[in-house]
Amino acid sequence: MQHILVVDDEPDVRDSVKYVLDRAGYSVRTAESAMEALAELARNPTDLVITDIVMPQVNGVEAVESIRKAFPAVRIIAISGGGNFGVTDYQPSAITTTAYLAAAERAGAHLVLTKPFETFELIRSVEQVLGVGHA
Amino acid sequence: MPRLRATFWIYITAFVVLVHLVLLPALYFGMGYVVRESHEDLFIEHARTFSRVLADEFEVGVALDSQARIEDLLDFAITHGGARYAELYERGRSIRSLYGSSEIKTSRSTDLSFGQGGDGIYFVVRPIVHASHRAELRLGFDEQPTQERIQLALTRMLWLLAGYLVVAIVIAIILSHRLSRPIQRLKAVSRAISSGDYTRALNVNTGIRELHELAEDLEAMRHELVGVNDRLEAKIKEKEISEVRREELQKQLRHRQRLETVGTLASGIAHEINNVLVPIILYTDTALQDLPTSSAPRANLVRVLAAARRAKDVVKKILTFSRELGEAKLALIDLREVVAEALHLFSALAPPTIEIRTEIDESLPFVRADSTLAAHLLMNLCTNAYQAMEGAKGTLTIGLRYQEHPTVVRLSQPRVEFWVSDTGRGMNSATVERIFEPFFTTRSVGQGAGLGLSVVHGIVESFGATITVESKIGVGTTFRIFFPAAPRLEEMEL
Repeated sequence: MQHILVVDDEPDVRDSVKYVLDRAGYSVRTAESAMEALAELARNPTDLVITDIVMPQVNGVEAVESIRKAFPAVRIIAISGGGNFGVTDYQPSAITTTAYLAAAERAGAHLVLTKPFETFELIRSVEQVLGVGHA
Repeated sequence: MPRLRATFWIYITAFVVLVHLVLLPALYFGMGYVVRESHEDLFIEHARTFSRVLADEFEVGVALDSQARIEDLLDFAITHGGARYAELYERGRSIRSLYGSSEIKTSRSTDLSFGQGGDGIYFVVRPIVHASHRAELRLGFDEQPTQERIQLALTRMLWLLAGYLVVAIVIAIILSHRLSRPIQRLKAVSRAISSGDYTRALNVNTGIRELHELAEDLEAMRHELVGVNDRLEAKIKEKEISEVRREELQKQLRHRQRLETVGTLASGIAHEINNVLVPIILYTDTALQDLPTSSAPRANLVRVLAAARRAKDVVKKILTFSRELGEAKLALIDLREVVAEALHLFSALAPPTIEIRTEIDESLPFVRADSTLAAHLLMNLCTNAYQAMEGAKGTLTIGLRYQEHPTVVRLSQPRVEFWVSDTGRGMNSATVERIFEPFFTTRSVGQGAGLGLSVVHGIVESFGATITVESKIGVGTTFRIFFPAAPRLEEMEL
């Protein structure tokens, strides 16, 4: 069974993604921040991280960079629903979904996905990144 | 009393007539006097000479002794000497020519002047002294023929002068017409010019040098006026066009700023809604998968899913507002072109107190960027710079140069450095630190949303470029953007 960690500050997003992937037969854990995700990664073996980009404190792009550095074997999918210029969660590297995701890709994400996505898109992306059917 | 204004030719003609009215009578009387005098002198000369010659004849020829001889000589005076009366008088004896007029009174002395006595006869009395004879020759010459000759001469002179007057008037009229025709033409053209018609050329053909020169000068002036007028019209047109262009540019800028604000707002809302849509879509979709096809709530869930997808589309549509930013396409571009284009736009909008300078390398490698976004970036930095110099004179410098080994920390690849430098107020270090934060602004409320520099930062990052800022209070601020230089054309694989 493959282990997936879903990182998003929005509980609804986090839970719904977990629900879909649980049903698809993955072992899914969640984290609500990049810090928590890094701690979780250190604690348990993980094959794939699905992380949001716009998050308070440490943003997704930085999270991707850190994960790539500390856990090079972990695959990463970045998800984002577009720019938000709220003072607290400002992300200088992004102004639009495209720019966010481009930044995430540059930081080392294996795949990017625009919110909202369909169930089949999510599953197919996970399969693609985990190399199901290619192994 | 209104001033009398006559035309040019009437003036000249009247002048000529007046001059002649004064001159001609004087000439007539003067010349008449001379003619009269000469005729009279001639007449008197003749009368006296004839009388002396006749008297000599009496003295020399001893004619006094013969009555017949005396009568012959007296008759000769009548028939050949022009006299109308001839008498020889000697001591009570009077012999008269029978041809002479008998009505003429005698016994008077020699007339001193022509016309004396009022009888039309000029009298010459000559003494004849011979031997013992003491006689007087009395001759009366008729003044009438001379009088008539004088009158005839005067009449002829009068006619001549009258003819002369007529000829002079005719000449004056012709001459003044010839003079006034080019003047009329000049008048017509200058009137046309004063009413705004510069197209009529002054083709004045005249032999009068002054008028010809005047016409030439006026024509030159007209040419000059046509030129000035054309230049003025061109200038006005240019100004109108630049005014229109300026308005157009301002409209573009306002539109752009509005788009930017709307885009930012839309992107914020989009983020929220997109996040909300994730659980809606995922849960509904999985619920649908779980429900048997005959299940009653299934149709409702299908509608929920459709509605969520529509919401997704709506958000996408809203996001097209910020498509410029959102759909940035990175391509190899020449930053010099972007700068030139932005400068063109900016120089029309910048206040005249600001001098714009450029320091641009002649040869620059391409950079990977989106030209629209790069222009947006430049405009934002320029606007920021001129707002920092607002109300004062200042210099805005835009620079582009290639740096093989950039001095900025962390950067080792060759870069194209692009900088915008102002001589404005400058910022303190606390401000510099927060300068790229959204909604951070030193401007008063209503002057700007404070998004400009955060947008700049976002664009720069999306290009994979780096931005730095240096500022000194009272000296100015310089923003530097380091674009990774694309390999030069000759180094690129073809």
